[in-house]
Parts: sequence; structure tokens; C-alpha cells
Amino acid sequence: MHDIAPEAIKFIDLSLSTIAFLFIVGFIGGLVSGFIGSGGAFVLTPGMMSLGVPGAVAVASNMCHKFPKAMIGAYKRWKYGQVDIKLGLILAASAGVGVQVGIMIQQWILDKWGEAGSNLYVSLSFVVILVVVGGYVFYDAWKTSRSGGEEKVTSLALWLQKINLPPMVHFKTANVRISLWFTIPIGFATGLLAATIAVGGFVGVPGMIYVLGASSLVSSASELVIAFIMGFAGTVKWAMHGMVDIRLTLIILAGSLLGVQLGAIGTTYVKENVIKIVMGTIMVIVAVSRGLAVPQYLKELKVISWQNSTITFLNGASFIIMCIALAIGALIIMGSMWKAKRAEALAAKESALALEKSYG
Amino acid sequence: MLGFMKKVHGQEEGQQPGNRHQDPEMPRMSQESSGKPEVPRKILVVGRGDTLDEEAIDYAVNLAERLGYDLIGLNVDTMLGQKSRFFSPYKYHLRDKFAQHAQAVGEKIKKKLAQRGIGYEQVVKFGDLGKAVAEVNQQIKRIEFIITQAGIKEAEVNGGINLPVFSISGYQGERKMTNEADSRGFGEVGKTVGFGLASAAIYAALFWNSDTVMQYFTKGAWYAALPIATVFVVSFVHGAFSHHLWEVLGIQAPKKVAPRPAAAKRPAARTRPRPQLRIDT
Repeated sequence: MHDIAPEAIKFIDLSLSTIAFLFIVGFIGGLVSGFIGSGGAFVLTPGMMSLGVPGAVAVASNMCHKFPKAMIGAYKRWKYGQVDIKLGLILAASAGVGVQVGIMIQQWILDKWGEAGSNLYVSLSFVVILVVVGGYVFYDAWKTSRSGGEEKVTSLALWLQKINLPPMVHFKTANVRISLWFTIPIGFATGLLAATIAVGGFVGVPGMIYVLGASSLVSSASELVIAFIMGFAGTVKWAMHGMVDIRLTLIILAGSLLGVQLGAIGTTYVKENVIKIVMGTIMVIVAVSRGLAVPQYLKELKVISWQNSTITFLNGASFIIMCIALAIGALIIMGSMWKAKRAEALAAKESALALEKSYG
Repeated sequence: MLGFMKKVHGQEEGQQPGNRHQDPEMPRMSQESSGKPEVPRKILVVGRGDTLDEEAIDYAVNLAERLGYDLIGLNVDTMLGQKSRFFSPYKYHLRDKFAQHAQAVGEKIKKKLAQRGIGYEQVVKFGDLGKAVAEVNQQIKRIEFIITQAGIKEAEVNGGINLPVFSISGYQGERKMTNEADSRGFGEVGKTVGFGLASAAIYAALFWNSDTVMQYFTKGAWYAALPIATVFVVSFVHGAFSHHLWEVLGIQAPKKVAPRPAAAKRPAARTRPRPQLRIDT
């Protein structure tokens, strides 16, 4: 966000491979975010930057594709009765504050330690938050699937719901009655993370599940509402500076609108626990990926003195692992959808056979 | 329900005809009706397509077996009614096809039900549902009530006649809805193509003039409305295209089918022996 004006003129030329890359990543990112409420941005932004797009333009174009995608996904999942609009709106409001604070922190770090310090801060936040939260989500998903796949509300959420601290809010779709004061930190953390690592949902969705006690279906769906509002506000800000490369946005959008609908349909096929599995898996792998990027910034800050070739290798590995994270998420979603669809077809065939036997 | 019917079927096969009247499970109605076998009472099963709904037939067979009634299956094609003077040969061909298929299915059902001692007659009509039912009611006497498959309203059937109408919905009703969606396949394809073309046109227009577009879209300030409005339009058009595309490809949210309701249980066998008149003892 610092001194972006001179960079802004350098919009890249599009080649066929660029278009294909953006379309495919857009599709897979859309699929994942339709399913777990967020995702895709963590690959798209660095991906675009590796294609030569200036950082600010990459962030702006990505954000400009994120809000219409979230809107379509939220609408689709609202039709399935999964979205708690009130929950989304309240969290989005506090997330707005979180974003502002997050930007202030970024600015402060940038002034104090420069570009490398800021990048290090971003990567370290990635690693710490994703390892802690993602690890817990993954552990919980694993535990749930071993005990039959039925989700249970955490004791923390049950305890918080019992505390009568006015104003109390009732979220109808989520079927949760909780004090407004407990929703604010979740929204705030979501915004803070969104401003730092661009994927607020990695805190927002687990927050809704484990702290507020909403189901993973409702949480991931309501996250799309938050993503829409924050993405829209962010886009307005970036577009006012003329940073949005509409061509990049539209190519990504072409893929992601297809993906987000498929992801939303996917949630109606699978057990709720699959949402947690996908989310936990992606978060843990992304954490590894960002961990590999840390040495570069440490070298820039002259904390370590590794060889350049090692750093380049680590950076390449980091990006590839990030793509793998997204791809694995997509594979789990498609695989579980395919399995559910096959089971459905088998059941239909059996019932048709029974009728045939009876009247054939 | 099907398993249950097989059981009943097996029981009856094992019985001698003479024992039929002594069966303590046999309800009173069937004894009465078997007393005057020359004009059996009937249930009319009405369907709009060229096959009857399995669920409606199932239900009617069950009922007919318990009551000792016969069945009439009526298939009505409401689309091929002769409304105007002009009636194309193609439509006659369609009528023939419809009637043939309906009769073929009717034959199958008839054979099956004959084994259980239930009479079955297949009737095919074209045009208005209510009129068709009234005609059948005139031609065939002693229709006691009407069973319709899901999706047919009572008022449609019960125009000129005074018979009770029961509609069978539930699990099969769900199935019917999905069938309807399938038969609208062409509409889905049309919409997919339409939105696809519209979406392609928007993309072409923007990328064809990408230099001009980029110049204005990145001016900042109030020009920010341009990219935002564009993504909104694209998300509506392209979003609708992708929605219909997945529908056409058959990837859609499964309809939440409520578990199939358990078959109505037959009344428990009476333990109290009913007095029987026996001449030969």
C-alpha cells in the first residue's frame, strides 16, 4: 500500500498460459471457497505476483473477484437454507474494525522494519495461526469422523451461550443464542487476519464453529456473507486508486463462478464433517508452505546467511506446496461428492429393481 | 409396502378357495362383495402420463385387496385433446403411441393382479381430465372412489361427478418432481446456451476493447464504479450460466427426500372367533 502509484501503470500483457493458469486456479479456488467459505486468495495473490503483476494490483484484482464470487456462493447456499445472514452481518461489522486495525499494524511494522519485516510478519502470522487453528480443526475433524461423523457443539460454546450478558442475540439459522460481546472478538480476528494474510475465513469459520457453537455448514455459508461485505468494501477502496486490473479479475471470475456453485452444491451431498476435514487439511499444508518462505525474509533482514540457490528453491517449493494445498482440498471435495452421488445412484437403482420385481 | 404385499399374496395362494370365507383376517367388506360377484365395486386410478404412478397403484392394489374391489387404470393425455378443428396426423401418431404404451403397461398390471384375484381394466382417454373421468364413470358402473397420483388436484378430476378423490403423494411425489425436472431438460439447455452466449458476448466486448477499458477502468476516483458494476453484471450473467450448466450436467443438490413413510399396517388379526353358520355340521 506504500508508494503504489508508479507501479500501477505496469499492467501485464496476457498470454494464453496466463489466462489458463488464472482460470484454473480461479475454478479450484471457487470450488474450495464455495465449500468452506474462503480460500483461493492465498494462491491467487502470490500466483499473480509470480506472473509479474505488481503486488497491489494482484491484491486489488483478487479482491474484486472475491466479492462477486462470495455473493453468488452465499446466494446459492442461502437457497439451501445454510446461511445465517444476521450472523454474517454482525461479524462483518466487527471485521471491518479488525481490518482497519490490521492495516495500522502492518503500517507500523513497515515503518519500523521495512518490506522484509512486513513480509516476515505476514508469513509468521500465517504459520502460527494456521498451525494452531488448522491443527485443531484437523484434529477435531479426525476425532469426529472416528466417532461416527456426528458433530458436537464444543463445551466452550455451550458455556458461552449460558452467560447472559446483554445484549443477547438469537441467530435463527445457526440456532444459537449468545451475547453480542462474544461475537465481536470473532469478527475482529477475522478482519485482522484478512488484513494480514488475506484469508479471514481461516479464523472466522473455526471461530463460529468452536466459540459460537454454529454448525460447520452454517459457519462456512455465513462466512461467504462476511467475505462479500469485506471484499466489496476493499474493492471500492482499491478501485478508487485505480488498482483493479479488470482483465485479471474477469478471467479468475469466469472460473470461480463455476467453482463456487459446484462447491455450494457439494455441501448438500457430504457429511458436515467433510467441511472441517477440507479446511484443516488446507490450513496445515498452507502453514508448511508459508513456513518455507520464512528463510527468505530472515535473510533479507540479515538474520541468517543462507545461499541464494537454497532460498530460491525454498520459494519455489513454497508456491508449489500452496497450489497442492488447494488441489488436495478440491480433490477431497470432488471425491466425497462423487462418492455420495454414486451411493445415491445405487439406492435409486435398487428401488427401481424392487418396483420392477413387484410389477414386472 | 412391496414386501408386505408379497406376503399377502403368498397367504392367499396357499389357501383353498373354500377356505376363503373362513379366513379370520378377511375383512367383512370382501365377504359382502364376494357374495355378489357379478358386479364388483371398483377403484379408479387416474394418471396424467402414459404410465400410472407406482405409488398410487401400490396403494390402490392394497386397498382393493382388502376391500375386495376391482381396479380401473385411467391414463389421460391432456395435451392431445382435440380442441381445434385441425388435428395433425402427427398428433394422431402420438395418440397411438401413447395408447399403445399405456395398454402395454396395463396388460402387465392386469396379469399380475389376476393372480391375486383382482380384476383390472385399462382405459386411455385424451383431453380434459375431468371429462375423461366423467366418461369412464358413465361407461363403467360402481366406481366407489378415485385415487390420483401426486400432482393432480381434486378439482381437476371431480368436475361433473360426485365421487371421493384421494391423492397419493409422499415419496413417489418427490420422484415425480424429479422426473418433471428431467423432462424440462430442453429448457435448461436453452437457458444454458442463452446465458452462455450473453456471458461470452460481455467477455468479448470487454477484451476486444481492452485498451480503452483499461484506460477508463483504472482512472480511479469515481471511475471505480466501472469495474465494480462490470463484475456485478458478469456475476449475474455468468453466474446464471454456471448455475444452468451444472443443472444440465445433472449436478444439483439432491432433493431432501423424507424417509419413505411406513406402509399402513393391516389391522391385527382378530383373536375373537366370529360365529359362523355351518350347514354341514
